[in-house]
Amino acid sequence: MSKLSIILFSGTTDKALAAGVLAQAAAAMGSEVTIFVTFWGLMNFTKAEKKMVLPKEFEQMGPAMMQGMAKEHVKSWYEMMLEAKEFGAKIYACSMSAGVFGLKKEDLDPIIDDMVGAATYLQQSEDGQALFI
Amino acid sequence: MEAKIIDSRGAACPGPITDLAKAYRNSKVGDILELWATDKGVRADTQAWATKTGNEILEVKEDPDKIVVRIKINKR
Repeated sequence: MSKLSIILFSGTTDKALAAGVLAQAAAAMGSEVTIFVTFWGLMNFTKAEKKMVLPKEFEQMGPAMMQGMAKEHVKSWYEMMLEAKEFGAKIYACSMSAGVFGLKKEDLDPIIDDMVGAATYLQQSEDGQALFI
Repeated sequence: MEAKIIDSRGAACPGPITDLAKAYRNSKVGDILELWATDKGVRADTQAWATKTGNEILEVKEDPDKIVVRIKINKR
């Protein structure tokens, strides 16, 4: 079975969307999908309300992006990751980064399956496709 | 044979391929699935999906209001 392993390092909404699209598409293609959320990526995976965060240079395009997404019926990155999970995708939080930001498992969104370390990522991504987003 | 219609009109990528994958879960060998979509990527993406999953694209047809892809299920 083919595999896609995504490291979601970035904490901006655009990058989370890219990860969501590829996770959902790969899951629909029958791949085993794993998303490892690390560092700034974790900011989107706390229990706090999800906010749109864009890179500084594109911040003024936020409203246009939201309008375009609504017009094209693009789902949110969170909905896309839920769809991927419906096909068996797993989403893990990096234990070290969580520690750095003082986040415990119970602080994280329930979409996170578990907290894992780098060895788990390396073992799970072996012989598959890997993306760093 | 009667095709099972999957209506994904209006859904953006990767919606149509996801709807197809969900219908595929409930299909059996020999079934014909017919995907209706408006996302322009669907022509290439259904071909990629079929290649990956071992199924067959029978026909791709562009109607004025939708793209229709007929898929034969050869592998479950």
